[in-house]
Amino acid sequence: MINKILRFGLVFVLLILFQVLLFNNIQFSGYVNPYVYILFILLLPIELADWLLLVLSFLTGLIIDIFSGSLGMHTASTVLAGFSRPYVLQIISPRDGYEPGSEPSMINYGFRWFVIYTLILVLIHHTTLFYLEVFRLSDFFRTLLRVLLSTLFSSAIILLIEYYRKGR
Amino acid sequence: MRNLINFLLKYNNLIVFLILESIAFYLLGTSNKYHNSRLVNGIRGITAGIEKKAKNIRTYFVLRDINQSLATENIELRNRIEQLEKKEGQTIFYVSDSIKKQQYKYYSAEVIDNSINRQKNYFTLDKGRNDGITTDMAVTSGDAVAGVIVGCSESFSVGMSVLNLDFRLSARIRSNGYFGSLSWDGRDYSHALLSEIPQHITINPGDTIETTGFSAIFPEGILIGIISDYERTGSDFYKINVLLMTDFRKLHFVNVIGNLKKTEQLELEKQFQ
Repeated sequence: MINKILRFGLVFVLLILFQVLLFNNIQFSGYVNPYVYILFILLLPIELADWLLLVLSFLTGLIIDIFSGSLGMHTASTVLAGFSRPYVLQIISPRDGYEPGSEPSMINYGFRWFVIYTLILVLIHHTTLFYLEVFRLSDFFRTLLRVLLSTLFSSAIILLIEYYRKGR
Repeated sequence: MRNLINFLLKYNNLIVFLILESIAFYLLGTSNKYHNSRLVNGIRGITAGIEKKAKNIRTYFVLRDINQSLATENIELRNRIEQLEKKEGQTIFYVSDSIKKQQYKYYSAEVIDNSINRQKNYFTLDKGRNDGITTDMAVTSGDAVAGVIVGCSESFSVGMSVLNLDFRLSARIRSNGYFGSLSWDGRDYSHALLSEIPQHITINPGDTIETTGFSAIFPEGILIGIISDYERTGSDFYKINVLLMTDFRKLHFVNVIGNLKKTEQLELEKQFQ
């Protein structure tokens, strides 16, 4: 148990540092901004109490917000992603259900399952985030394009990280 | 009572979710208004330390560019001194005019945090109220416009970059003096849009765009960029694409310009509104 907490703490710190120091500086033609820290929410154990998941999402978003100087934006979108995670897990649950005490990872449930899982949650997160950032409906479709491209890019990075973890 | 407890137990996730989400939206709403000034005072102090360290490392990779830009600026200043000295030599006498006091005051500052990949970009400077910086001061990089200070703490300040959907600046075409409003459309970090230029005048790509002195923030005649292309819209105005002179990816050393007569100008203008 303590071991688990320590491991997730480490993952948390690493992802936040990566996000703040590396991914926040990536800019690709104004359309692609990867937000990879959401991987932390994706990796939390399946049986984690829902309220704890929400609180952790809140904290993750808040810390990213503090570092990027955009109070509320990341918090709101990460909390929404955390809220929808149990429903997403329910919808895409494998035929025999989830193994008790397992984590939603590529190793446990396969590549295809993890891709779908990642895409759905990253899309929810990015949609909220980008529309809150612009906070206007003019340029609706341009924002939509940004959402879609960034979703693909973030998911790709998340899958790479997860693939690397699987290989080890 | 039991029903209530049952209800709460049944929907506890939804309730936690709603509480947290409303905190988030509260933060979003309030921080939008005074945006960074609040943020600067409270939290920037904590994160600024880390940002400064990261910035230190990043600066090493661009030292050559920084040196180059400082060298060019030096040469330009030297040339200007040369010109002034020549002029001075020709004048027979010099009248010291005490009525015309200094209007603008310059401060130099270093950018410790900057972004270009959001829709609302801000940068953080390492000087604050203690160094004489207040809100609504102009920020320039080299000779060109970079942004406006929107919030200050004791030793840091936050500027709204030109690359911000909320940024507006009164700008004119240097060659003919027609002025319009400059804004950013959120697409490209190297281009901004100049609007409200009427279609009856001719526009040449390559023309210089500079500030007007209307806003009491920027001094007159500071470079913004050059016209890269334009299109005629359905209305009576051009839509002009301006290539920004400032490279926002390489924003390191900036000048902050304070208008010492701003209050005087604003008070006078207020009487007629």
